[in-house]
Amino acid sequence: MSCSPFDLRDYLLRELAEPQRRQVEAHVRSCPSCRLELDRLRLTQTALSSLGDEEIPRRIGFVSDKIFEPSRWRRWWESLHGPAGLGFASAAMLSVALIVSVATRPAPAPRVAGTVKTVSEDEIRQRLDRGIDAGVERAVAAIEARYAQRTEQLVKDIELRDREERRAIQAAYELQADYQQRTLQAYKRSQYVASASDGGSR
Amino acid sequence: MIFRAVEDADLIQRAAKGDVEAYNLLVSRWEKPMYNYLLRITGNREDALDLTQEVFLKAYRNLGKLAQPGRFAPWLYRIAHNEAYTMFRKRRPETGVEDMEPRGTGTGIAVGGSSVFPLELSLSVASALGRLSEEQREAVVLKIYRGFKFEEMAEILDCPVSTVKSRLYTALDLLKEELAPLEARGVS
Repeated sequence: MSCSPFDLRDYLLRELAEPQRRQVEAHVRSCPSCRLELDRLRLTQTALSSLGDEEIPRRIGFVSDKIFEPSRWRRWWESLHGPAGLGFASAAMLSVALIVSVATRPAPAPRVAGTVKTVSEDEIRQRLDRGIDAGVERAVAAIEARYAQRTEQLVKDIELRDREERRAIQAAYELQADYQQRTLQAYKRSQYVASASDGGSR
Repeated sequence: MIFRAVEDADLIQRAAKGDVEAYNLLVSRWEKPMYNYLLRITGNREDALDLTQEVFLKAYRNLGKLAQPGRFAPWLYRIAHNEAYTMFRKRRPETGVEDMEPRGTGTGIAVGGSSVFPLELSLSVASALGRLSEEQREAVVLKIYRGFKFEEMAEILDCPVSTVKSRLYTALDLLKEELAPLEARGVS
C-alpha cells in the first residue's frame, strides 16, 4: 500500500496536474517503498509497450480514394451493366461493325434484281450479330481470366499467411515450453541449494 | 498533438461539407491506430479490418452529428467500441454482454509490429493481457496503447470515470504481478 499523497498510478499515467506531480516526486525521493512501487509500475508500463502496433494489412478504401478507384477497363466494363450502358455499348459496337463491314465489303456487284438487296441486308445483320457476339465473348473471357488470376493469387496469399501464422504459433509454444523448463530448473536448483544449506547448518 | 487536433478539426469541417478528399486524409491518419485498437480487443485481424472499414463508413455518414470537431478521436472510438460489441452480440446472441469474451482472450492476442524487445517478452505481455477481462483489457488498450485521458475513456466506454479507473488499475495491478519476473529479465 502506497503512502504517497496522490495515487502513483495517476502519476505514472500523467493524470495529475503539475503541482500534484511535484508533490509525488518529492515524496518518492524520500520514501523507498513508494519509489520501489513506482519503479515496478514503470517496468510494467515498459513491458506493455513491447507489444507494438501492427501495420494495417490493406488501406481502408473510401469513396473517391484514387488508389481504390477502378481501372479504366473496369469502369468501361461496369458501365456496360448500368441501365443505359448496354444500349450504348450495343450502339457503339453496331457502329464499329458497320464501319468494318463497309470498309471490308467487296465492291458491289451490278444490281440485277430486287432480291439481291434483301440478301445483302441479312448478311450485314448476321455479320453485325457475329461481331457483337465475338466482342462480348472476348470481353467476358478477359474479365473472367483476370478475376480467376486474382482469386488464385488471393488463395495463395491466404495459404502463405496461414503457414506463417502456424509457424509463429509453433515458435511461440516452443518458447513458452523452453521458458517454463528453465523456470522449473531454476526452481529445482534453488530448492536443492536451500536444502543443502539447511543440512549444512545442522 | 495539438497541431494534429487542429488539422483534424479543419479536415472534419471540410468533410462534413462533403469534401471526400478531406475525409480520406482523416481516414489515412486514423486507420492504423483504429485497426490496432480493434485488433487488441477482437484478437482477430480479419474482424479488425472489417470493423475498421465499418467504423469509418459509419463515421462519415454521421459526421454531421459531431458537435465538437475537437472531440473527433473519442467520438470515433465510441463508434468502434459499439461496432465491436455489436459484432460480439451477433456472434453469441444467447449470451449476455457481460459474459461474452472476444476472440482475443487466452493466447489469441496478436503479437506483431516491429519491436526492439525480445519476442518472449511480447508473447508474455500478450498472454498476460489475454488473461484480463475484456473490460480491463479495453481500458488498458485505450490508456496505455492509445493514450486517452480518463474523461475520454469514460466517453468512449459510456461509463463513469471512477469505473474506468477501477478497471484500469485492477488490470495494472494484475499485469504488474504477472509480468514481474519478465521485467527483471527482459526490460530492466
